[in-house]
Amino acid sequence: MKKELLNHVNALVLQVLYRSLRVLYKHDSRVREEIDSWDKNISFKLVCGPGGAVLALRSCENVGFRKLPRAQRADITMRFKSVEGAFRVLSGQKSIADAYAEHLFMLEGDIYKTMGFVRCLEFAEAYLFPRIWSGRILKEIPDKQLATLKVYALAMLENG
Amino acid sequence: MNYFEFTNPTKLCSGKGALDNLAYELEMLGAKSPMILSDAMLEQLGTLKLVTDALGEMRIGRIFTDIPRDSSVEVVNRIAKEYRDYDCDALVALGGGSVLDTAKGVRLLISQEAEDLLELMGCESIPRGKNVPFVALPTTAGTGSEATDVAVIKNQAKHVKMEFISQQLLPDVAILDPRMTATLPPRITASTGMDTLCHAIEAYSCMQKNPLSDAYATAAVELVGKNLIRAVRFGSSKEARAAMANASFLAGAAFSNSMVGVVHAIGHALGGVCRIAHGDAMNILLPAGMMFNRNYCKDTYAQLLLYLAGPEVYLKTPENKRADRMIAEVLKLRQRLNRLTGLPMTLKEAGADPAKFPDVARTALNDGAVIVNPRQVTYESVLKILEVCYGE
Repeated sequence: MKKELLNHVNALVLQVLYRSLRVLYKHDSRVREEIDSWDKNISFKLVCGPGGAVLALRSCENVGFRKLPRAQRADITMRFKSVEGAFRVLSGQKSIADAYAEHLFMLEGDIYKTMGFVRCLEFAEAYLFPRIWSGRILKEIPDKQLATLKVYALAMLENG
Repeated sequence: MNYFEFTNPTKLCSGKGALDNLAYELEMLGAKSPMILSDAMLEQLGTLKLVTDALGEMRIGRIFTDIPRDSSVEVVNRIAKEYRDYDCDALVALGGGSVLDTAKGVRLLISQEAEDLLELMGCESIPRGKNVPFVALPTTAGTGSEATDVAVIKNQAKHVKMEFISQQLLPDVAILDPRMTATLPPRITASTGMDTLCHAIEAYSCMQKNPLSDAYATAAVELVGKNLIRAVRFGSSKEARAAMANASFLAGAAFSNSMVGVVHAIGHALGGVCRIAHGDAMNILLPAGMMFNRNYCKDTYAQLLLYLAGPEVYLKTPENKRADRMIAEVLKLRQRLNRLTGLPMTLKEAGADPAKFPDVARTALNDGAVIVNPRQVTYESVLKILEVCYGE
């Protein structure tokens, strides 16, 4: 029961994360610059534990990211070892760096190409969590180029 | 940290006569026809012959000595093909970091029954595969590769050093015999020794540190503090050589379980982009990297002073000055090594081209080590460190 609930929360946060990344691509020059520097059409997948929620996406010109079917193989897969571990990251209890340090996930694909995606996730964390919260998990909070509320509002209007 | 993991299944055979046990260890691992990987220099120096002699009557499947200083994916793929063609059933790696990392790549390919190393990129994602007995015989006391689950292998096409992280890379046995490092020139002894020190310091101060990796790291720092200068000045000292080999293994086991930080991230990038030797890069970057992290690592640097400089210096230094004193001790050690061997202290002396620094900075940011560095590493901060280390 608990695992099912966590799975639902993880799925919801992944959806917000995906939409926010698309918003940030349009409105945060650093995120846009980062994504534009990657290999064209590189695909990423976040798997939130065995049988857990999945976000699969591909970098895309002009919109930042587009979703992929969850079964499709991605260039880079970050696979959380447990639903609970994924929840701790997606709920803002742990940063990506903490999760790496605590072996919460494994990685399939090129570590070198993953770091840019990690930077984007950290930007998203800085926007989506309240400052007092992100200050606890991020080593440094980047300046925001638009207000958090605006990110949430624009994310709601994004195509999911 | 609330949770940590620690892995170090490698059997260590260390000290006088360790090499004599090679045939026995291979037999115990079930090997009958090992492939030996080494380089041309070790063949010329006669070190390879020591190893083939130690194998006695055991059949040698193949000897491969054409491994370049920076091994590449292509070289690994080629050796794996030869391993299959010559029907080998084990790997013996004799050499420095490049040879050992090459052997790790070959083992991964064979055990996973894959053709191309690029298929196996990742971190902690490779399951146990076919058994490939693997014995590592390091000939430098620096990389600690014999005790790590990491292999750094160059992607020639992209001029980047790629990291592979997997428990499946750990050798079954590591043999540290003072004869293996006896011929190491003072300059390389100094450079690789600073690599060991850097592994231990970064392992002790990065985000993934844990009580077990700390124990390995502090033991390594102490051995380096007491033996590096001695090993450089008196290369034939078996005690100093053995101590540095042990320090390298300990530091390797430490960072294999806690990772490294900004110094290694930039060092890997300098190796890939500017072809600066890894140990030289560590020697040049370490003090600047420590200064960069200083405010985040005051306590850990202060604690390390005890191990590097000894109890007398530690107790005489006021508590709030110990972190700075630790950095000063590293600088002092570096200067002594520079006087003794000419080890470069700046990137300018090492021949780095400052025009390539933006490229180095971009590459360093994509190194896995930056994620566990205690302080956020940015493009600007890497450029700043590079400028400081260039020495103008």
